Amino acid sequence: MKAMLIDTTRCVGCRGCQVACKQWNGLPAEETQFFGGAGYQNPRDLSSKTWTLLTYNEAQVGDHYDWVYGKLQCMHCQEPACAASCPTSAMEKLAEGPVVYHTSRCLGCRYCMLACPFQVIRFDWFSANPYVSKCTMCADRVLSGQEPSCVKSCPTDALVFGDREILVAEAHRRIEENPRKYVHHVFGEREVGGTCVLHLSTVPFELLGYRSDLPEKSLRRWTEPAMKPIPYIVAGLSLALGAVAWIVSRRDKRMVEKWVKQVKEMQ
Amino acid sequence: MTGAWIKPQITRYNAVLYLLAALGFVLVVIRFAGGIGRVSNLNDGYPWGFWIGLDILAGIALAAGGFIVAGMVHLFGAHKYHALARPAILTAFLGYLLFIIGLAIDLGRPWMIWQVLFHWNHSSPMFEVSWCVTMYTTVLLLEFLPVVFERFRWRHLLGMWHNFVPWAIILMVTLFTLAMSGSNVWTLLVFTILLLWEVAMRTGLMRRDAQMPVLLVMAGIIFSTLHQSSLGSLLLIIPHKLHPLWFTPVVPVFFLLSAIMIGVGMVIFENIVSARVHKRKPDTHLLAGFARALPVLLGLYLLIKVGDIFRTGAAEYLFMFNSAAIGMWLELVVGVMIPLVLFMTTETRTSEKWLLRGSVFVVAGGIINRLNTVITAVVVEKWAPYHPSWMEIAISLGVLSGGILVMDFIVRNFPVFDDRPALAR
Repeated sequence: MKAMLIDTTRCVGCRGCQVACKQWNGLPAEETQFFGGAGYQNPRDLSSKTWTLLTYNEAQVGDHYDWVYGKLQCMHCQEPACAASCPTSAMEKLAEGPVVYHTSRCLGCRYCMLACPFQVIRFDWFSANPYVSKCTMCADRVLSGQEPSCVKSCPTDALVFGDREILVAEAHRRIEENPRKYVHHVFGEREVGGTCVLHLSTVPFELLGYRSDLPEKSLRRWTEPAMKPIPYIVAGLSLALGAVAWIVSRRDKRMVEKWVKQVKEMQ
Repeated sequence: MTGAWIKPQITRYNAVLYLLAALGFVLVVIRFAGGIGRVSNLNDGYPWGFWIGLDILAGIALAAGGFIVAGMVHLFGAHKYHALARPAILTAFLGYLLFIIGLAIDLGRPWMIWQVLFHWNHSSPMFEVSWCVTMYTTVLLLEFLPVVFERFRWRHLLGMWHNFVPWAIILMVTLFTLAMSGSNVWTLLVFTILLLWEVAMRTGLMRRDAQMPVLLVMAGIIFSTLHQSSLGSLLLIIPHKLHPLWFTPVVPVFFLLSAIMIGVGMVIFENIVSARVHKRKPDTHLLAGFARALPVLLGLYLLIKVGDIFRTGAAEYLFMFNSAAIGMWLELVVGVMIPLVLFMTTETRTSEKWLLRGSVFVVAGGIINRLNTVITAVVVEKWAPYHPSWMEIAISLGVLSGGILVMDFIVRNFPVFDDRPALAR
């Protein structure tokens, strides 16, 4: 399974990845605005036109304040909640790693957006024929043996692409070789069952906008116990309710016979 | 009854309903022309909101009376509640139709809904929900058809209906099992069980209900059980977003149990209100017996809900001063504790006035619960909290008003509250 390693300490904030993503996927530019609050990136957040976004975060690094860059995009979970929740399998996890979106099957129910633990799926709120959208890991490129366009564009090798096991080992090697430089955690290695996008950072991941409290269990482990019993319930109820109907019909029959007898005796 | 139609009329009392329905219609046109964002406050952080809470979660729970009463009367042999069955089935049928309209407004691309029939995802609760809706709406339509046949005196159709319905049900439940399990063994097992019951009835080994095919009523209970609980299962994929007071692995059980109590409350509420509107006497003596189930259901719900809150360690959240705690107390006090106390007394159960008041508490509490689970309880980090826009609320009210007007027309023109034997009029 392929994966991407994002070493934010190597990132210089050039946003070449953001532009390459738009070029390869044919995404239009969007009108942007200044905004208050955390972050100094442009645009502020992911959208249906921006599938990856470099965030500019001010954070304390060692003894000084500095820019720390983060990269928002689909995490391509190993067991994606979006694919588990989609009623039409419009979201699909490919064996090669990418989580892809089959537009023609989508109902626009937005259950994938609710389910996504990383909040990366976006919806066309102002369209009469809306779709959801998110990074596809450039699945078309990956399936033909190339790396995603954002990785291709990265001038400092902050983004590297390869087999997941190799990249996990590489991430740990970097932490071990430079324990003071990195937070001792590979974000994405275990979160919600592991993802195919791995992050290394020099500041706590919450400062880059990631949730540090996600469970290690894949989210579909919670829905499975509710889905598995369905055939048992259908078969069990078919049997039990039929039996009830049988017993009740016998009781009714006996009651009617009793009445008939009583009426006859009275005559 | 074959006579002239009683046409709908605009009166002082229902003018508001017509106005709300018209406003809702205009807003729905805007929504389909310009997108969901044009009329709602839903956003990428809060993709679900008021529509899912009211039209879908609450609407379906309110329609639960249909399978409960149909099951009691035509399967469990509680024949004395016969008069309650048709109105409950009609309410459920219209409720489901309204739900489908509400769903079509909420879905981005509702015209693609048939896709669920071809791309099966056994791990998705939403897949289960969409199949249950389709199947149970069909069941309700089949359950309601005799009323239409009687209205137009189509006796031969009623005979055909009795003959055809069991086979349709066997096909539907079998197909449903295949779609849900993807397993030939389960599918064959369910098919065999249903076929055996039908054969037992056709050969006279087992008596059939004179009015409703037993398999039809069974299918109603099976699909409703799964549908009501699967709406709760929808929430299981968001342990990271749902407030601990609402998130629990047994949320499907709570949804089913609360749907049953809301359904019972709704049957009582609807019977009394429609009796008053149509100047009929409500079936108070029947409702009194029916309401005896409520203290049991409400007590059970309160017991396991509170027990579960302590088991999952969420009890501390009950005693904070924030919207989640207030929301949970509100739904428990209004929807469970007050009606529990009320319905424990014989005075409440035998008085029309207090039956109505008690049922209002149950129904209101149920609606608060469903709205809470998708609005109050969903917390998305780093996103401004969601509040429904006035247009979202107006669209829901418009759909509901339209539904009440249609219901009123049907009750005036079809033999719904008439409990004389079929075709004897």
